[in-house]
Amino acid sequence: MIAVLVLAHFVAGSVVLVAGRTLRRWIFAVAIAPVLGALITVATLVPGVLDGDVGFHRYRWIDGLSLAVTIRLDGFATVMALVVAGIGAAVLVYAWSYFSHDESPARVVRFAGFFTLFAGAMLGLVVAGDVWTLFVCWELTSVLSFVLIGLDDHLPSARIAAQRALLVTGAGGLVMLGGIVCLVHASGTADLEHLFAIAPTSATAQVGLVMILIGAFAKSAQVPFHFWLPGAMAAPTPVSAFLHSATMVKAGVVVVARFAPAFASIGWWRPLLVIVGGSTMLVGGVAALRRDDAKQSLAFGTVSQLGFLVVLFGIGEPAATAAGVAMLVAHALFKSGLFLAIGAVEHATGSRDLRRLSGVGRSLPHLAVAAGLCTLSMIGLPPLIGFVGKESALAALAEGERWSIVALVVVVVGSILTTAYSVRLFWAMFATKRSKVDQSENHFARIHHPPNVALTAPITVLALLSLAGGVAASPLGTRLSVAAESLDGAASAHLALWPGIHLPLLLSVLIVVAGAGLALVVLRTQWRPAPPTTRDSTLGERAYGRAYNGLLDGAKRITRVTQSGSLPVYVAVIFAVIVAAIGFALVRGAGGDWGDPVAADSVLQAAVALLAGVMAIAVVAARRRFVSVLLLGGVGQGLTVLFLLYGAPDLALTQFMIETLMIVAFVLVLRHLPTTYSSPPMWAPKALRIALSVAVGVTFAWFALSAGSGDRPTDVTDAVEHLSLPVAGGKNVVNVTIVDFRGVDTMGEITVFAVAALGVANLVTASRRGIGAPVSAATRFSRIGAQSMIFEQVTKMIFHITLLVSAYVALRGHNAPGGGFAGGLIAGAAFVFRLLAGDASNRQVATRLSPIVLIGTGMLLAIGTGFASLVAGNEFLETNVFDIHLPGVGRIHFPSAAIFDIGVYLLVIGVVIIVLSHLAARTHSAGADGAVT
Amino acid sequence: MNQLAPLPMAIPLISAAIALLCRRWRAVQRAISVIALATALGMSIALLVRADTHGPVVARIGGWSASIGISYVIDRFAAMMLVISTLTLLAVLVFAIGEGSAKSTSPIFHPVYLVLAAGVAAAFSTGDLFHLFVSFEILLMASYVLLTLDGDEAQVRAGTTYVVINTIESVVLLVAIGLVYASTGTLSMAELPARLAELDPGLRTGLHLLLLIAFGLKAAVFPLFFWLPDSYPSARSPITAVFAGLLTKVGVYAIVRTQTLLFADAHSTLLLWVAALTMVIGVLGAIAQNDVKRILSFHIVSQIGYMVFGIALGGPAAIAATIFFLIHQIPVKTSLFLVDGMIEQATGTSRLDRLSGLLHRSGFLAALFVIPALSLAGIPPLSGFVGKLGLITAGLDAGDGILVAVAITCSLLTLVSMVKIWLSVFWGEPTPNPKVAASVGAAAADPQTRWPIPMVTATVALVAIGLTIAVAAGPLHGLCERAAAEIVSPGDTIRIVLGS
Amino acid sequence: MSIALVVLIGVLFATGTYSMLHRSLTRIVLGVGLIGNGVNLLLIVAGSRPGLPPIVGKLTGSTDPIPQALVLTAIVIGFALQAFLLALAWRSWTLDGNDDVEDDIEDRKIADRRRRAIRTTEAARRAERERQLSGDDNQPAGEATNLGAR
Repeated sequence: MIAVLVLAHFVAGSVVLVAGRTLRRWIFAVAIAPVLGALITVATLVPGVLDGDVGFHRYRWIDGLSLAVTIRLDGFATVMALVVAGIGAAVLVYAWSYFSHDESPARVVRFAGFFTLFAGAMLGLVVAGDVWTLFVCWELTSVLSFVLIGLDDHLPSARIAAQRALLVTGAGGLVMLGGIVCLVHASGTADLEHLFAIAPTSATAQVGLVMILIGAFAKSAQVPFHFWLPGAMAAPTPVSAFLHSATMVKAGVVVVARFAPAFASIGWWRPLLVIVGGSTMLVGGVAALRRDDAKQSLAFGTVSQLGFLVVLFGIGEPAATAAGVAMLVAHALFKSGLFLAIGAVEHATGSRDLRRLSGVGRSLPHLAVAAGLCTLSMIGLPPLIGFVGKESALAALAEGERWSIVALVVVVVGSILTTAYSVRLFWAMFATKRSKVDQSENHFARIHHPPNVALTAPITVLALLSLAGGVAASPLGTRLSVAAESLDGAASAHLALWPGIHLPLLLSVLIVVAGAGLALVVLRTQWRPAPPTTRDSTLGERAYGRAYNGLLDGAKRITRVTQSGSLPVYVAVIFAVIVAAIGFALVRGAGGDWGDPVAADSVLQAAVALLAGVMAIAVVAARRRFVSVLLLGGVGQGLTVLFLLYGAPDLALTQFMIETLMIVAFVLVLRHLPTTYSSPPMWAPKALRIALSVAVGVTFAWFALSAGSGDRPTDVTDAVEHLSLPVAGGKNVVNVTIVDFRGVDTMGEITVFAVAALGVANLVTASRRGIGAPVSAATRFSRIGAQSMIFEQVTKMIFHITLLVSAYVALRGHNAPGGGFAGGLIAGAAFVFRLLAGDASNRQVATRLSPIVLIGTGMLLAIGTGFASLVAGNEFLETNVFDIHLPGVGRIHFPSAAIFDIGVYLLVIGVVIIVLSHLAARTHSAGADGAVT
Repeated sequence: MNQLAPLPMAIPLISAAIALLCRRWRAVQRAISVIALATALGMSIALLVRADTHGPVVARIGGWSASIGISYVIDRFAAMMLVISTLTLLAVLVFAIGEGSAKSTSPIFHPVYLVLAAGVAAAFSTGDLFHLFVSFEILLMASYVLLTLDGDEAQVRAGTTYVVINTIESVVLLVAIGLVYASTGTLSMAELPARLAELDPGLRTGLHLLLLIAFGLKAAVFPLFFWLPDSYPSARSPITAVFAGLLTKVGVYAIVRTQTLLFADAHSTLLLWVAALTMVIGVLGAIAQNDVKRILSFHIVSQIGYMVFGIALGGPAAIAATIFFLIHQIPVKTSLFLVDGMIEQATGTSRLDRLSGLLHRSGFLAALFVIPALSLAGIPPLSGFVGKLGLITAGLDAGDGILVAVAITCSLLTLVSMVKIWLSVFWGEPTPNPKVAASVGAAAADPQTRWPIPMVTATVALVAIGLTIAVAAGPLHGLCERAAAEIVSPGDTIRIVLGS
Repeated sequence: MSIALVVLIGVLFATGTYSMLHRSLTRIVLGVGLIGNGVNLLLIVAGSRPGLPPIVGKLTGSTDPIPQALVLTAIVIGFALQAFLLALAWRSWTLDGNDDVEDDIEDRKIADRRRRAIRTTEAARRAERERQLSGDDNQPAGEATNLGAR
């Protein structure tokens, strides 16, 4: 039921936000509907609650994390719900006319929408039955308050205030999260009732409690976190009245109220809360006396009152708790009333500067009376609820133990301040003054448009409620005691309008008299702060500012180090990490077993290895690009020989072709680049770089040596070798492995190959993209060096032979070294050389077939075989052997792996042509676009 | 059903080939890629259902046993990753079509994008270590091409960094795998656990660390993350978005497999520190930036830290939390980048100091940003909160108080930087649209921005998915727990794969 | 295991690394080539013993075919990578006439801007406070950097 109401708030709020423009005048109707709904519903539930039945619902969310949504409507929750919904409704009515002639409709929409959302979150918070529900609503209120404070986001001050409020309460919220996790961890339950029943006091639990309290203090603007609240006054008055006096800032108080009865017995609890709450009460009270901005003054008043409440509930004694409940209600009524009054005055005069207000009371008596009642209630004079509440509070503290007495003293002093700033505020707002500055009337703000009924009615209602509450003290007391009992079984509020002559009454008198006197002094001496810049920034505020800027600064410092933006540095770091890791492993004994190392398997091997090594070193030593590239080619071909010697002819063949093509590609690109390397400033001394490189080489080689030396199971190898011919139908085990056993690897490999080709083409043509006319094949290649007759003729001659060879290599692959890949490389090479030869007829041959189509078809064939075998009901890529009967030719034994290999063959041809032809493109004029687009 | 396990990889791949052949008809290409990914998505969902009800789906490709050939093994975890990644790929594709990446540039966008999808799918599905390497190469090569699609100066520089760093990653991975085979004689991830366990500890450590370095580079963990913020932001928004959402997560996925399957829970303290540093350094980097894309890119790093944290904790609860975080992270992060794409579409920039007051030009856009942003910052009840809660609870159960504190602090810092974006991009005086201003003069700048339907749909869809994850967190978390249980004690899966 | 080849592997890795530590993209590609060769050799040497080609019929004393299959794949991928890097070099040259890899601009900015940024935030903070206390908020909104303050 309640959950539905909360949801209704969210729905209504969203509707307003989404459809606000179209709703126009009905915005507030939609916004207020769920609030009124909640008010009425809860009101109807009151009798039941008074009879002691508790509405309880739990909705499962995440069992694994014991997260659930629990609604628990006990006495206290009911009171709070009534406060939230009631004042929410009042404020919305007020806002209706407050925003009536607002120039920006969007602003009104955002106000109404987010306000309703907030009301929903707040309602959820007060009726939450477990810590998680509480926390969820808690964070939601923080975020929504951020948006509402920043409603006038074109004002820097509003943005800053919103940011500060969010970060302070948000930080508190996260601390609280940690606390909750600890507490749940310690108690094993998230349900508040069980939690308080168990009341764990383990170390973890106590840490958790402190963290939760910190969150509560941040939210309820307790010292030293209180500085965000006055800033939040940047929000429009209705927001201040609801969020920052009546509801959100009470969230922390609510938490204290709920937790105190269970945990107040812990040693540090009472001191902590009395000190924090007490200092907050005093600091707020003093600050409130020093503000000339009515809202600021009242905001600090709120801070002070929140401190008062924290002290009361923090004591955790039954009587104090009961008094706290009464005080909570009283405060909600008079404080929101006063805020609305200030808003009305500002609305009428366009100013809320106490120095510029005069004669308001005379011209707006109605408003003055209402505000007056609220002020009296705030001071704590009979017959108002404020008096009743404060009386019971004093009484409760007076009969308490040590810390209660401390609290009592603090409260008395604080109340004197309260009286003082209340008197001052009321007088300054409504009295008729004679300006000391100049006698001219225009020094004071005039009344532009007097407030209409809708604006004053809510204030009046709140004021009358304060009055009624005071008059009907004892019946109210019996009702409220139910709420108090739901917090603490022993608590019962015995409120009375006339408690008789005893200590509390005397104290009240003292408070009022002293407060009035103080107010008089203040008003007489015009006692006002020195230029605020010094006194304004409280300790917490300065700390916040320093922390924030320190964060920004520190972040930049650190990032500057971690994020140098220089590629060589990154590469170096990575290699350093690798060396460290392998080095660690080697130290841990990975370097131990060297098996039975031989100097070399053969003299030839040793010789070639030596040669390759020398050339490798020469590569990095070389100053000229061409030289280093040719040397790299030498290294590559050296490996070709080594592979051959090692018994890997397939490898040798592929390596040979790849390295050849690689050199060609290099040369084609290097034609354009300067012959020698430029030498940009280096990031580290040469010695260091060499040292790192050597370390990399040593660690990798050493690790390889020891990792490869152990004797390992060879079952897989044997299986592969024995299955090759009989099952896979191929003698060349390597080829069978790549097209059949590990065919899907090859599928991926050719994909990489193809995509790389596309990428190369894309990069090369990037410079000329957008220039419409498709490039004619003729212009696709630039001549390389001088035209050579012999080169042309030779290529022409060997072209077809090469193609035949390639086809042969491709087809025999399954049984002897070779295969589609090697074949494709050969054929591709043939085409490329034909193209590079650069004679017209050659070009025609080459451009007759589009390499992209080759690639596409190749991929299609290769992957198609996979699908084919799926369709045939086998595993993906499973080889089926087709026996095709051709008339005349006879039966043809044809494994589908062969089709796969043909696909590879075609694709590779296409890739080679694309890559090399594009790299061959003349940089500016040419650039082979035709191949791609 | 078992044979169908390769389809999430194979369907996009063959569609790529077809799209390549249809390069002259862009409309056809668009249709092909959308249909392909949609089909793959359906396939993945089917596999997820199957894996959840009947246990792992195992395809023996080519009909060869796991040890001889290559098997695709799709357990719950893999299936979940397949579903969420394909979903994200599809959404971003739609966005790209709307934004114009697909039209305006080369005909290779669609084929390459599909290849990327295939590579991601293969990486999640494979049960063979070397095929994992090949899958990485597929998605890497595709990502190289996509990153440099325009070939302008920024992209070439970023591309160079990206390619070179990832090349090193490939080298390390290849060496690791080669030496794993050299010392165990198999590449099947089903056989490896037993055989690796027999190796001498030093060697084992070496192989383990090499793999972690390779995957860590891919996942961008401290101290191997710096390449990411320097490369991602230069690509087109949808491409950055899909990289941000998926590529690093593939690395995380591989780390999960390494820590749960290959080298169960070894070197977890090392990982804990890596996690902490990654979280902190990443989020600090984000705070230092002044460009939406770069802020978000650093957040990728920071969030990776959370996942590594979960992995390092180990144990069913922590792994379940990690999986949940991973699943939530992909759509949320991607949608944030898509929102950035919409911002750039509207204003032509993503620099904080050039943007202001977007809220007043499009509250809709603001909403699209704020939901994933708050989720990222871990504000309840959004998915990010659930993910982080799971992690810190697990951390506390494991007694890692410090790490928990770090994690919580980092989510405050995340909030700080998100507020930074909000304050300067969405609040303040609305600036006139530079594009319009340039053409018609500042006065005529339109207050309300419009985007092509596909862009909006895709972004909304991803944001909605993020919200759904929060709403359906109960069942989803249950699924994560089952998946975690499955991979924490992989005995049954191994038996099924080896068919014994 | 042949020490000669192991040493060669070491040399290839060392030279490759050294080459990759340069700014010139050409050198980087060369480095990739060298390391690539090193890896391929490493896979073969560590993964199999020298012997006859693994062709059915003379399988006794043949080498292990699987590392060869892996290296075949690796070689091809290596070629693809180098080709792409070459294209990048080509493009980089057409763009700014050299193939040197520049530092990331944004990172440089962060590094350089730092000092200035702090100054602005402080100035902004001061301005902000005065604005706030002077009670009148109608001054123009501060730009993004100011918002960092407080």
